[in-house]
Amino acid sequence: MDTTVYVPIPDEGTAARPTVTPAVRARALTKTYGRGEAQVRALDGVDVDFTAGRFTAIMGPSGSGKSTLMHLLAGLDSATSGQSFIGSTEVTGLNDKALTALRRTRVGFVFQQFNLLPMFTAEQNITLPVELAGGTVDRQWLGTLVDTLGLSKRLTHRPSELSGGQQQRVAIARALIAQPDVVFADEPTGNLDSRSGAEVLSFLRRSVRELGRTIIMVTHDPAAAAYADRVVLIADGKIAGDITDPTPESALAGLDALRTVASR
Amino acid sequence: MIRLTLSQMRRSAGRLAAAGLAIVIGTAFVAITLLAGNVITRTTYDSIAAQFTGADLVVRGVPADDAALDAVRGTDGVATADPQLMTYQQLEAGGRTIYQGVLAEPTDTSVLPLEVADGSLPEASGEIALPTDVAERLDAAPGDTITLVRNVLEGDQSSEEDAWTEVREQLTVSGTLTDPYGAYSMQGGAAVAPAADVAGWEDDLAAPGEEPVAPTTMLVTLDDPAGVEQARTAITGALTNGAAASGADTADLKVVTPEEHAEAVASEMTGGENVMFTLFVLVFAAVALLVAALVIANTFQVLVAQRTRTLALLRCVGADKGQLRRSVLFEAAVLGLLSSAVGLVAGVGLGQAALTIGRGMDLGVPLPATVTITPAVVLIPLAVGTLVTLVAALSPARAATRVAPLEALRPADAPSAARGAGRVRLVLSILVSVIGFALLGGGVALSTVGQEPTTGLLLAVAGGGLSFVGVLVGSVFWLPRVVALAGRLVGMSGPTARLAAANTLRNPRRTAATSTALLIGVTLVGMMSTGAASARVTMDSELDSRYPVDVTVSTDLSSDPTSVAAGDAVVAPVPAALAGTVSDVSGVSRVVEARATAATVTGDGVDEGLAVTVRGVTPDDAASVLRSTEMVEPLAPGTVVVPEEVSENWDITDGQALTLTGPDGTLDVTAAVTDLADTGMIVVPDDLSSLDPDAPVTSLWVGLDDPSDATSVVPSIQDAVADTEAPADVMGAAVERAGFQQVIDTALGIVIGLLAAAVVIALIGVANTLSLSVIERRRESATLRAIGLSKGQLRGMLAVEGLLIALVGAVLGVLLGLVYGWAGAAAALGWAGTPVIVVPWRDVLVMLLVAAVAGLVASVAPARTAVKTSPVEALASE
Repeated sequence: MDTTVYVPIPDEGTAARPTVTPAVRARALTKTYGRGEAQVRALDGVDVDFTAGRFTAIMGPSGSGKSTLMHLLAGLDSATSGQSFIGSTEVTGLNDKALTALRRTRVGFVFQQFNLLPMFTAEQNITLPVELAGGTVDRQWLGTLVDTLGLSKRLTHRPSELSGGQQQRVAIARALIAQPDVVFADEPTGNLDSRSGAEVLSFLRRSVRELGRTIIMVTHDPAAAAYADRVVLIADGKIAGDITDPTPESALAGLDALRTVASR
Repeated sequence: MIRLTLSQMRRSAGRLAAAGLAIVIGTAFVAITLLAGNVITRTTYDSIAAQFTGADLVVRGVPADDAALDAVRGTDGVATADPQLMTYQQLEAGGRTIYQGVLAEPTDTSVLPLEVADGSLPEASGEIALPTDVAERLDAAPGDTITLVRNVLEGDQSSEEDAWTEVREQLTVSGTLTDPYGAYSMQGGAAVAPAADVAGWEDDLAAPGEEPVAPTTMLVTLDDPAGVEQARTAITGALTNGAAASGADTADLKVVTPEEHAEAVASEMTGGENVMFTLFVLVFAAVALLVAALVIANTFQVLVAQRTRTLALLRCVGADKGQLRRSVLFEAAVLGLLSSAVGLVAGVGLGQAALTIGRGMDLGVPLPATVTITPAVVLIPLAVGTLVTLVAALSPARAATRVAPLEALRPADAPSAARGAGRVRLVLSILVSVIGFALLGGGVALSTVGQEPTTGLLLAVAGGGLSFVGVLVGSVFWLPRVVALAGRLVGMSGPTARLAAANTLRNPRRTAATSTALLIGVTLVGMMSTGAASARVTMDSELDSRYPVDVTVSTDLSSDPTSVAAGDAVVAPVPAALAGTVSDVSGVSRVVEARATAATVTGDGVDEGLAVTVRGVTPDDAASVLRSTEMVEPLAPGTVVVPEEVSENWDITDGQALTLTGPDGTLDVTAAVTDLADTGMIVVPDDLSSLDPDAPVTSLWVGLDDPSDATSVVPSIQDAVADTEAPADVMGAAVERAGFQQVIDTALGIVIGLLAAAVVIALIGVANTLSLSVIERRRESATLRAIGLSKGQLRGMLAVEGLLIALVGAVLGVLLGLVYGWAGAAAALGWAGTPVIVVPWRDVLVMLLVAAVAGLVASVAPARTAVKTSPVEALASE
């Protein structure tokens, strides 16, 4: 039944794959919190590549370091050591100004809490990143996004007038409006019921398949991870596995394997 | 619950600090006001006590007439007894005039609290000892003579007007006096003259048929100062017996020691200066506290909103509504009490500092060394501060009770807009505003058109107050709309501004309350400065038309020609050099010399008995120095311009044919009566020559470069004229304007200074609202940073928010202030002429600038907190 094979990552990492350009890369990426006795290694020398035009899920149990990995990859937090790249740009080592510019044009975010601005309409929320960057909105791209995400009748509504699923779809449109190199999604279904969650995940997958976007999603839910093209497993701050074309079952099996490893 | 409340306060300490500061300022204001009232009372007591330092007993409550004095002097143990008599007289020397209180010299000069600095006390009639500063101003040293000018009753006493005659007497300065205890500092110092002289002058002041009023205080010295009690009984007995014989009333008789007397007088001042002062200033303290209350209410509203989850959790675990309400109120009480205590200490500290500085500055009034702390000074600020905080927290406390336990289970979204205000409030505010503005309009109409200034002003003040209350109560409805409009305008400038504009509208109540706090202060300041500017201009135009010449330097104005018999009209010439001296004064643009002679007037029905001063001025010269030329417009050969006052005195009508007879000829002229304020008629110089070819220059008409500089130029002219010792008077519109302007500017300065406290508190409120919003919007700020808002843009967004809140409050305040200022000026000055509507542009600009800068500054600290927020927080789930 489960055809996917759980493959431990080889030592040299996935960087050796020559065929596709990595949109996002991490090299020996390390993050520690605290000092001395109380020191916690949230991320411990991670090497990982994320292919462009793919939907990748980072999955791991609570406290595995999956969120920290995403924060560092996106340049939201600073690394203790190591490097991370978006395309050919080294994110680690950019100053705040350059990071802001990077976030405006090359990175999009989808949050667990949606984080829409309550005083703006759906359309205003979607176009905000472009406006903050001082650019003009590509109406055609906006139309495509709105159609794909099924928001055309909701554009004039404020977030309080939208359902959770609709709000998250607005958030996805906002993340994609600037045609970024990569979109980071942090537990995008965490605050949604399972039906809305499934809907949102389908939209994320469609964004990748039909619109050619790159999406990296953090989740602890195997069912959600199964929508991705690939699952990167993480445990105790280290990459612990990689599943291509996952199903809910293979993802769950991977996660269980990690737990067994962790508890052993 | 108390422990929980306190720990919650500790967590919110930063957020409470700003609200606390508002109360600190308010209570410090109250404390300083009360302290200042005490200082006034204290200074009065000290000065009264000093006046009687040398006396052993003070007799008061009965007239100190000869009978009473004899009775006291005849009492065993009494060494001397003198009435305390002070008369105000006009002293002149070297062209300077001073009104001075002159004290009767007591028999025992050790009773005087004054010390001789130079020379001696007066020993004979016709001598006077002057306070050192007065002697300096009059440039008189011991041995010099000065002139005492007074009006006495002489000749025909049937008509009061004619009965008074000016008498000039020479007095010899016997010495100069200092007032080391400040006994007479509040009366402008005291000169001393022999008792008989002073009594005589005082008696002459009584109007025809009036008995001179005897002083009611008597100073007594004793042979043996230890026998105070015995003497007290003896004097009381002697006076009571004497009064019983003459049937006089001795119910108020009191024989007291100087200390008892000072205390009694000081405590009698309860309707006096100190109370008036305290009440006046407390009105402004009340405004400051009202603004502070708005800031506090706002803070607590936000705190309750931010604690919704905690409050709901408490409800879940069993807290009832009363406990939550009490928790919020307890928090308010603690905050109020702490802040009030800090405010009290700050107020006392500031008051003491002001006293210390004041003492060092030699203000002429001996100030006490330390502030007097009475129970009232401590208790009133504490009580008022705590009470205001509690009242302000009432509505937030009610909001806390409305939190449902269920809310603990909901996701922690930023608290969104509170429910709108009720319909009752809307109706009430509209009703009150409409009635208020109607009353205001009615008051203005009554005062200007109806010529009922007192009723009109009262009505206008009541209407103004009422309408302002209505406007404030309703601000929650209309202010957000104005902010929305302003926000839309600002939002066109870019996404940052649009974000800011949208943010100010998320919580209309909070924005409205913050702007309203500022609106109150700015409206009052704007009203005062508009009112003052309108009053100034209205009075200016009134003065311009009454006194068309800025300044007149003249020798003939000092004596009224109406009271001088024919041929005696004073035509003392102005010294030839004076015109040059005056035109050398900086600020003087032009000096016109006007010649004059005395002439008699004949004509139909004209009162021919008296001589009139006739001036010769060319129309061009007149036009060159007159502010308003219409009053001399008819001036031409063959026409005499007759000032209205002169026309009334001589019964001359406009257009009447007159014959003027001067020392050397006669002249037939036509009268043109105008509003000119002068005591003489005006003809062209050629016509004057036909009356008197040798007519001397008796007055200088002086034009100023800028009449608004009168405050500085007029005293220079007065000094220049005084220095030449020419017997010339300086008067005119500019002189009155200078005095008037000083009064308005001083009053305006004081009022604005007092209102500044309210404005400062309101600006603290703006900063507070912004920082509370920033705390509340942490996640949102992080989201914005994550989707590409730069740190600069985040700062800019908050700066625009601060600007919007502050400027909307300031602009609306200025507009309301203009309306109230104009209405007030119209109601108060309607009688003085058509009120002129003035916009005090400079003040308006300053107010808007202060508000804008303050709005920007208020955003600095919150912005610093906001940019510290890492974008990671947007991703955090809790």
